[in-house]
Amino acid sequence: MRPDPQKSPSLAITVLVSVGCHPLTGRGRRADQDARGVELARALPLAEVRLLHAGVLDAGSDAALRGYLGMGFDALTLIEQPESSDVVPALAEVLADHPPTLVIAGTRAERGEASGLLPYLLAERLGWPLVAAVAEVEGVEGGVATLLQALPRGQRRRLQVRLPAILTVDSAAPAPRQSAFGPARRGQLAVHEVGEAVPDAELVEWVEQPARKRPKRLKIVKAASARDRFKAAAAKAEGGSGQVLDGVTPEQGAEAILKLLKEEGVLRR
Amino acid sequence: MSEIRRRDPRREWIARNRLHRDHVSVLAVLGQGNTPSEWLGPNGVMRRNPHAVGFIGPNGLKRIDRSGGQQGGPATVATGTAASDSRQAVTIEAPAFLVAVVPDMSGGRLSSHDRDLLGLARQLADADPARPGAVLAVLFGSHKEEALGEAGVDRLLHLGDDAYEGYAPEARLAVLAAVERDLAPRHWLLPDSPLGGADLGRRLAARLGERPATGVWQLEADAEARGKNGSGWRCTARGAANTRDFLRPLPRVALALAECAEPVSETRHAAEPVTLAQPLPVLLSRIADLGPVAVDPAGVALAEAGFILSAGNGVTDWEGFHHAAKLLGATQGASRVAVDDGHMPRHRQVGATGTWVTARVYVAVGISGAIQHLQGIQSCDKVVAINRDPGCDMIKRADLAVIGDAALVLQALVTLVEQEREEKRHAA
Amino acid sequence: MLDTLLPILIFSALALAVIGAMRRIRLWRQGRPSPVPILQGLAAMPRRYVVDLHHVVARDKVMSNTHVATAGGFVAAAVLMILVHGLGLAQGVLGWALLAASAVMFVGSLFVARRRRNPPARLSKGPWMRLPKSLMAFSLSVFLITLPAVGVLPQDAGSWILAVALAAVLAWGLGEMVFGMTWGGPMKHAFAGALHLAFHRRPERFSTKAGGKGRSTGLKALDLDSPQAKLGVEMPSDFTWNQLLGFDACVQCGRCEAVCPAFAAGQPLNPKKLIQDMVVGLAGGSDAHYAGSPYPGKPVGEHAGGPHGPIVAREGKALVDAETLWSCTTCRACVEECPMMIEHVDAIVDMRRFLTLEHGNTPNKGAEVLDNLIATDNPGGFDPGSRLHWAADLNLPRMADLGQVDVLLWLGDGVFDMRNQRTLRALVKVLRAAEVDFAVLGDEERDSGDVARRLGDEATFQSLARRNIATLAKYRFQRIVTCDPHSFHVLCNEYRELGGPGGDAHYTVLHHSTFIAELYAAGQLHFTPWKGGAVTYHDPCYLGRYNGEYEAPREVLRALGITVTEMARSGFRSRCCGGGGGAPLTDIPGERRIPDMRMDDVRETGAELVAVGCPQCTAMLEGVVEAAEVRDIAELVADALVILPVKMAKGQGRAGQARVEELAS
Repeated sequence: MRPDPQKSPSLAITVLVSVGCHPLTGRGRRADQDARGVELARALPLAEVRLLHAGVLDAGSDAALRGYLGMGFDALTLIEQPESSDVVPALAEVLADHPPTLVIAGTRAERGEASGLLPYLLAERLGWPLVAAVAEVEGVEGGVATLLQALPRGQRRRLQVRLPAILTVDSAAPAPRQSAFGPARRGQLAVHEVGEAVPDAELVEWVEQPARKRPKRLKIVKAASARDRFKAAAAKAEGGSGQVLDGVTPEQGAEAILKLLKEEGVLRR
Repeated sequence: MSEIRRRDPRREWIARNRLHRDHVSVLAVLGQGNTPSEWLGPNGVMRRNPHAVGFIGPNGLKRIDRSGGQQGGPATVATGTAASDSRQAVTIEAPAFLVAVVPDMSGGRLSSHDRDLLGLARQLADADPARPGAVLAVLFGSHKEEALGEAGVDRLLHLGDDAYEGYAPEARLAVLAAVERDLAPRHWLLPDSPLGGADLGRRLAARLGERPATGVWQLEADAEARGKNGSGWRCTARGAANTRDFLRPLPRVALALAECAEPVSETRHAAEPVTLAQPLPVLLSRIADLGPVAVDPAGVALAEAGFILSAGNGVTDWEGFHHAAKLLGATQGASRVAVDDGHMPRHRQVGATGTWVTARVYVAVGISGAIQHLQGIQSCDKVVAINRDPGCDMIKRADLAVIGDAALVLQALVTLVEQEREEKRHAA
Repeated sequence: MLDTLLPILIFSALALAVIGAMRRIRLWRQGRPSPVPILQGLAAMPRRYVVDLHHVVARDKVMSNTHVATAGGFVAAAVLMILVHGLGLAQGVLGWALLAASAVMFVGSLFVARRRRNPPARLSKGPWMRLPKSLMAFSLSVFLITLPAVGVLPQDAGSWILAVALAAVLAWGLGEMVFGMTWGGPMKHAFAGALHLAFHRRPERFSTKAGGKGRSTGLKALDLDSPQAKLGVEMPSDFTWNQLLGFDACVQCGRCEAVCPAFAAGQPLNPKKLIQDMVVGLAGGSDAHYAGSPYPGKPVGEHAGGPHGPIVAREGKALVDAETLWSCTTCRACVEECPMMIEHVDAIVDMRRFLTLEHGNTPNKGAEVLDNLIATDNPGGFDPGSRLHWAADLNLPRMADLGQVDVLLWLGDGVFDMRNQRTLRALVKVLRAAEVDFAVLGDEERDSGDVARRLGDEATFQSLARRNIATLAKYRFQRIVTCDPHSFHVLCNEYRELGGPGGDAHYTVLHHSTFIAELYAAGQLHFTPWKGGAVTYHDPCYLGRYNGEYEAPREVLRALGITVTEMARSGFRSRCCGGGGGAPLTDIPGERRIPDMRMDDVRETGAELVAVGCPQCTAMLEGVVEAAEVRDIAELVADALVILPVKMAKGQGRAGQARVEELAS
């Protein structure tokens, strides 16, 4: 019962949203990547965007989820699940009931295990293709979506994926629009009932603790002699003052710069 | 040949006697270069000639370097060659189990992340010396890496087919599934790097129905930690946007962060090629890679740009500046003053109050370097400054500074590049 | 014949005026209800007119006298004319009085005409250009018609043709003055203005008989709890009715335009045009008939709207473009100059509220700053636990440890800015030298909410304010001292509505310049005389215009031995630095930059140093290339401090004592 995107004029998109966490203060907020996903969906013409969240509903998550409503939505579908339960079956059930053409999710959550596995598990379960790190949806036509995938350093790769599909977005996607107080306050959190919640038995057994500072890797010196070891240990931090070309002609200066640009390999060929 | 060193007192005597007519030839036989600085004395004691060691220092004084680092010492040469050979060659004939690693091979070579991961794999493989495991590396596409063995690979499955080039997660996943079926490795290790192992590893875990450990940065042997399959290992995984650690038994599939382990450096491994028992099924891919998109450098977000040409108050010829940026293929940036004066749009402002940039090369044209600006470029690799004022802060920060008129230097740079391109075109 | 014609003319004009007034009142009543004490307001109106309004008008002596003559003459003439010609009570003194009144009005109208000969750019043209003629027509015709009535001329002087001609001219005059007053002519300002004074939205801003200039500059809080309440102003009808009345009172004199820093910088804002656009919206139509200076860069005639249509369209054009509203620095120069007591800045913030709270359209860095304020309680998105890192070596006493002190030092968000940290260090040094018992809130402090409120994010403002008020309520202190006029203003004036000082809380809020002036007057500070060059002082808007503190900073500078070389625009006419109202964040492009213009003002005085009392001003003025040196008053004071030997002995023990002995011998 998949909708035929060629027939239906509008494009049904479900964006999976989660409760984020500010890196400095730990306050609840829109998760950054999810919000970018919502922005990506909103930017598509004829998109019928539906927000979907599975999790606990309390004062904290309510405020955070309303952050998404503030981007201009009337409602957000909420699958209420108790703390530390496996939300994949519930999400899969809802998505299978009303299959959208596109599912968009952030790459990783900002709370909990944040393994980034959820979209992959959904893709596997639904049998849909998944494309990671999408920066832009260029168009949807004839059951195929043309996407731009973000590569490092602002580079992009064009991909085509057969629909329905799951896309994940990361921080290279366009920044989300401001969340406005009015629509956030008015919007509805529509609770959607699903079958029994599946507890996440494994997670409970793990030890969770605040992130320890990772030890900085020491420069390992495989030195045969004491002199080399001493030299490595006492070596000045690299750098120091750079090369200064004073009193040179512009041509000489330009040559020096060009040489550096070539060494670094940044010059366009 | 016997390793026992035999003494020849006569020869030693001649070697000591600089006036002896055979002195030089004996030295040559003894292999001590032209002037022996130390030799074994007649009663078995090492003798040194302090006049023969050392070198004349820059101030005309004789310097003696006793650390052995001094060049020319025959003994050092000998130890040097020995050191390069000291890496122990290890061949694991019949491994008790396999540790499968899928390195990213970005740019066709092992990245430092890949090497760390292979180091981690070795920890798993070599934990029990009696029953060593083998590290299996699965490589996709063509690669230029020659030192796979040195990096710790025992077995190598290389799939050089074009089908695996670019973004081909489905084809790659099919291979990994086949590896699982044929070779059933005990552990799967992938780098948790965006667009590489992070993507493929999660696909694999979902396919295998295994719950992977992601963001692993520490691994400890722990007999208590019985995972699903009793791995005997415990790992620490980063979660919750790098704010929490999860201590958990190591599952079969693990995605590890960079610097999760030390790379292999003391052993050399065989990197024996292996092949899959059954041919891979032909797969209809639902994702098509249409190749990289030509990105206009001017449109690249400043935070992502790798090469930035940035303009400040010292720029007078804006046409020339824009032209230079276009020709060099650089993303344009600007100082606050240049933006305030309306020469550049606000989103091009670099600095603490604008954008924090991470470029490989940052060329600051006519920017004196306000503290906020320097803050914004602190994570740039190489900074080039073109400025009239040799005393400004940007010059102090720069790796290469050219003192002079910005417009003229840029003009010269443009001419130079254009010339080179012209020549290349003629050559081609 | 005139005897019959005149009453008909007068009473039909009056009747039409009453109908017009009804229509006009109906237009105003489209606005939201806002209860006002009607009788009290009407009773207070004459005083507000004579004292407060004329206080503003009298800044231009010629215009002031012109207006007194014209308006006074007209009011007297109109009343007397009804009595004399309408009711036929021409006997005795009334007729002579009418003659005198119309003569005075005529003289006034001559001055109005002179003014209109070469009008400055800030004045609107259009119908306003015919006003002097109408005034003359009215006054002259009334004068002439009254001449026979008092018996100077015979009853039948001149022919009936002359009488008809006179009546026609009078009809013109009456039409403009009486009919036009309520039907939308230039004289509308008299009708709407009088009622605006009576029913002003901020009656507190007027002086009272008890003395002292009233002051009310805080914004009105939004009701965020009721889901029905509108979040700000979307359509003209979302303003309260007395705000609409206020807009209608505009005389288009353009004094606001002349002082507006955004207009001068070529940003698309002109306060006069904005108010006129609201008037257009009130009645519905387009701005094509507007006859003054446009918004810079925006031609007139492209915008239109109605009372129940949006002011700012989500896409395309409506009555006003969003960037017009975001250009405002909320410096209140326009409000200070407006002779009609119109509240431009409040209206702009009301409209911004809707843009931020409903559209979610705060431009440029504005949205990011609001997100930071929500997540980290400071606009820069810094770790709120690092507020005191700059003062790690100062060992500042914390409120949490002491619980009770005399003075709470409110540090503001300048703690995250390296430049402002220098000012704060200087201030701490001064307080210590004066042995003030003070403490800081440290990490318990939050942004005061000023930026959030000016950017229209009332929700974030109220959240910050309520939490700050709760924190302040935990401790006991007499005063809050801050070196940030924005925090000062918000703490002092805007927290009251939410339960801050003046409500249940008993403390006063002071700007550091006021406090230092007080300490100096009490003999607790001693300075070495100033040896530097010429100094000028830049009045921060939120200290000066908002809170009327012009003297204390100058007193401190005098105490330092500095003779301030005043800028042409100083005191209540001070030009904004461009840093207020979130304007640097919304960053609407113009032709010039406001701080550059302000630095030009500084340069004109020849001063080498400009003293300021606001971190925003410091940042904006220091951002000007090749500028005069910018120092905060606290820094100047700290540099000139003389620690007296007695204090030194007390403070530094033996070393101090040695110095004392040395000095004594």
